[in-house]
Amino acid sequence: MSDRFGHLVRAEWTKFRSVRRWVLGLLIAIGLTVVLSTLFASVGGTDANSAPAVADRFHFVHQPMTGDGSVVARVSGQEPSHDWAKAGVMIKQSTASGSPYAAILVTPRNGVRFQADFRTDIGGSGRTAPLWLKLTRSGTTITGYESADGTTWTEVGSVSLSLPQTVEAGMFVASPEIVEIQRQFGGTSIGGRPTLGRATFDNASVSGGEPAKWQHEDIGASMFTSDETGATESGGTFTVSGSGEIIRLQQGDDDLIFNSFTGVVFGLMAVIVVAVLFITSEFKRGMIRTTFAASPRRGRVLVAKALVIGLVTFVAGLAATAGAFLLSQPQFRANGYRPPAYPYVHLFDGVVMRAVVGGALFLALLAVLSLGIGAILRRSAGAIALLIAIFIVPQILFGGLPLNVALWVGRVTPVAGLAIMQTTKRWDTAIDPWPGLGVLAGYAALAMGVAIWQVRRRDA
Amino acid sequence: MEATIEVNGLRKRYGRTVAVDGLSFTVQPGQVTGFVGPNGAGKSTTMRVILGLDAPDEGTALVGGQPYRMLRVPLCHVGALLDAGAIHPGRRARDHLLWMAHSNGIATARINEVIEMVGLTSAARRRAGGYSLGMRQRLGIAGALLGDPPVLMFDEPVNGLDPEGIRWIRGLLRSLAAEGRAVLVSSHLMSELQDTADHLVVIGRGRLIADTTVAALVAAASGDRVVLRTAHRTEAMTALASAGATVAATDREAVTVTGLPAERIAAVLGERGLSFSELAAHRATLEEAYMELTRDAVEFNSPTVRAEANNE
Amino acid sequence: MRSTVYTEWTKLRTVPSSAWLLIGTVVSTVALGSLITASVNTDFCPSPVECFEDTPKLSLTGVYLGQLTVVVLAVLAMTNEYGTRMIQTTLSLAPRRYRVLSAKAIVVTAVVLVAATVGVLGSLLVGRLILPRNGFTPLHGYPPLSLGDGPTLRAAAGTVLYFGLIALLSLGVGAIVRDTAGAITTVVSLLYVLPIVAQFVPDPDVRKFLLEYAPMSAGLTIQVTVGVDLLPMRPWAGIGVLACWASAAMIAGFALFRYRDA
Repeated sequence: MSDRFGHLVRAEWTKFRSVRRWVLGLLIAIGLTVVLSTLFASVGGTDANSAPAVADRFHFVHQPMTGDGSVVARVSGQEPSHDWAKAGVMIKQSTASGSPYAAILVTPRNGVRFQADFRTDIGGSGRTAPLWLKLTRSGTTITGYESADGTTWTEVGSVSLSLPQTVEAGMFVASPEIVEIQRQFGGTSIGGRPTLGRATFDNASVSGGEPAKWQHEDIGASMFTSDETGATESGGTFTVSGSGEIIRLQQGDDDLIFNSFTGVVFGLMAVIVVAVLFITSEFKRGMIRTTFAASPRRGRVLVAKALVIGLVTFVAGLAATAGAFLLSQPQFRANGYRPPAYPYVHLFDGVVMRAVVGGALFLALLAVLSLGIGAILRRSAGAIALLIAIFIVPQILFGGLPLNVALWVGRVTPVAGLAIMQTTKRWDTAIDPWPGLGVLAGYAALAMGVAIWQVRRRDA
Repeated sequence: MEATIEVNGLRKRYGRTVAVDGLSFTVQPGQVTGFVGPNGAGKSTTMRVILGLDAPDEGTALVGGQPYRMLRVPLCHVGALLDAGAIHPGRRARDHLLWMAHSNGIATARINEVIEMVGLTSAARRRAGGYSLGMRQRLGIAGALLGDPPVLMFDEPVNGLDPEGIRWIRGLLRSLAAEGRAVLVSSHLMSELQDTADHLVVIGRGRLIADTTVAALVAAASGDRVVLRTAHRTEAMTALASAGATVAATDREAVTVTGLPAERIAAVLGERGLSFSELAAHRATLEEAYMELTRDAVEFNSPTVRAEANNE
Repeated sequence: MRSTVYTEWTKLRTVPSSAWLLIGTVVSTVALGSLITASVNTDFCPSPVECFEDTPKLSLTGVYLGQLTVVVLAVLAMTNEYGTRMIQTTLSLAPRRYRVLSAKAIVVTAVVLVAATVGVLGSLLVGRLILPRNGFTPLHGYPPLSLGDGPTLRAAAGTVLYFGLIALLSLGVGAIVRDTAGAITTVVSLLYVLPIVAQFVPDPDVRKFLLEYAPMSAGLTIQVTVGVDLLPMRPWAGIGVLACWASAAMIAGFALFRYRDA
């Protein structure tokens, strides 16, 4: 049985390779993908490497601390200005933005965290204010504790930091920007809107060195006026307002791997045309009768056809995506996409391989879907127009659609298959890579199922 | 496998149009069976049903005792030429035969054999788009012969062939039958089959009109008519009529006589002293026989004729 | 000439795909327009008044999909004849080839204009019903869509005209390319792909030129009613650019049709 199916596959392969236009069509698909991908990669650039590596903005109420010692405070209340709003105690080398620090802090939605030097982030309990927080410095080791009552302390984490003898210690409040989608003039823009965090502290004390007066200031440039940020004290209770974020910035969120394959969107047109013609030309000329007379089991013929067009397109697709990747990367490098913001990636890196092979799989599944739709409609014009409506029109319309609608389209239509080539997750990511390819595979299977059912039922 | 085609009670309708209406016949091995009927009679439909391309609404069509769709290597059981135009114009003739060979696991060496048999050797590497109708016809026949099948079906194979080609295909059909194969050849022109077919299946408007040998059909159509040529036409007619014959004048000197054998006519004329220049039993052509048969079919079943013509 | 037009009309009318494609034009235009219009509201605007949403243009978004069926219809009017070799019959009946192509242009454009009018009016009607529910109310500066409004009328009439010009462009390309799949791919590339590729052309002048003068982007400036001053060209100039594209395709089509063997 299996060898008979092998015969069918061989016959379909012979059919495919003996029509020069189809072979040429796939070569055009490869050419379009590689050339346009490289062209697109050569335009634009990045200054990610000259951009600051960290964000360090907050309001700090501090006094100097010399040698070993500790800083303690009770956070009596915190406004939920942002899930990641921060209120806590900190030891920091100086008030200069970006200087080394260690902090224990509480957030409205993400519990207690011990964070240091833009690198360390250790989760504590899931508690929210009110609670007690403490940092101790012993030599180069700084340890963070939390407590419900100020007497029983639980260690959250510790870190080794080389700090000068005298450092600044005290309470701080930060609250990050909210990502905001804005629609105006028929287009959608995305931006950050700063938020103002506010928290109250009491029982604040710094031990080690001479007791000193509390000072307070914005660290880094605040997005708010000095009227809004600040600190007031009344009877040992501090109300601190601050805005900003203390975090290592992700440098450059461009998906350089995905962006290596922009030409695929155009290469796929050639794939659609070839795959549709592979079946509709048989219907047009009545050759389907010769085919079905030679192989009366029609479902198997269609499966063999799908296998051949899928495999052939996969191989062509592999050449296209690998070529596009190899030629695009040097262009990106020339345009400033370099380490550390953009580490070099190589063809045989796991994630690159997934994108390259996945891109070829995407084209192969697209070819099978096109074949299925071609077999159902039996007309090249209708099938090609329908597939272009599915794959090209959304690309044109994405810009004008509200983001949630665009993402929804990217999730539930066959276009979702393009996600297999993406390697980062961003706010505009519609669907994860494999589920995305799965959506396309589902449509391809559905189209093939309907097509097989129809060729069996209809007279040839 | 037996080299036969058996069609039994076949009925096929397209929408409201009945294309084949209760057709039954058998194609025997070792002879060329002509499948004749006017355009739209249902010949192509019947052939498509035999090949499993169209599903019959009723009845069966068996090839060597099996439905076509059961055949695992159909090209080695039945070879068929349906539509010579059914070739992708961008494909070389040889590649067209190559994919057909692959689909049934036929050795590729066979391709050169059939190309040679149909006389396409010099053109086999050209793309089919540049072929003349006759060359396409030959390529289609090559495809039918590819699996060396015991049963062959050709739908209007002489279409587009030049006189030399027609002579060639007649010889081919005869030799295929002589090898013991069952050969079914359709045509809307009886004259094309006159010297080729041994047996005839005549259909009109989807129904069987005659299923007979060529000899029997011609004999039946000839009847017992005798053609008489004489200078004394009027006297001869009177004499023969009074002897009990039906007489019809066909031109100034010729008379067709029915109802009396030739010897009796000669005797009657001799008695009256009427001389004649010719006295011959009439032999109908196959075409005449066919016209007679299908004329009846046209008269009896006219309501379906228009719709059927659309189908072909 | 009259009889040639009549012949072409009969040809177009008697192919079932024509009716389906024209129905498809109306349905896809209205359907996509309604879906997109329904998906847009004032939620993400700084305030409804500051949305500056171009509601007539939004309602007419369906043109992006609807034009595809027009492309297919117009291309097929030409390529179908070659596919079935009917062109030989056609030319033996009407040996003066420019008449055949002119007649096709007249008939195809006429039926497309009819379908486009229905599609555009349907889209505006749906928009008129949906928009107020999504916050685009007179209170927020969005009066109900009406043809009595000058810019809206221009957008609507211009969109109908746009469909007609796309039909002519496609017919011309069909006459040049003669192959269905090839012609459709060519027109689609011209409409949809050119503007995307143009974004990546390194030379800024060439890029600007391509982006502004691509047939779809230029032609659809006719739909803009908000921020017309910001457009690279006046709306009527934009549709004029598309008319140039269509004329160029038709002239090339005429020339090739005239001098090439059928």
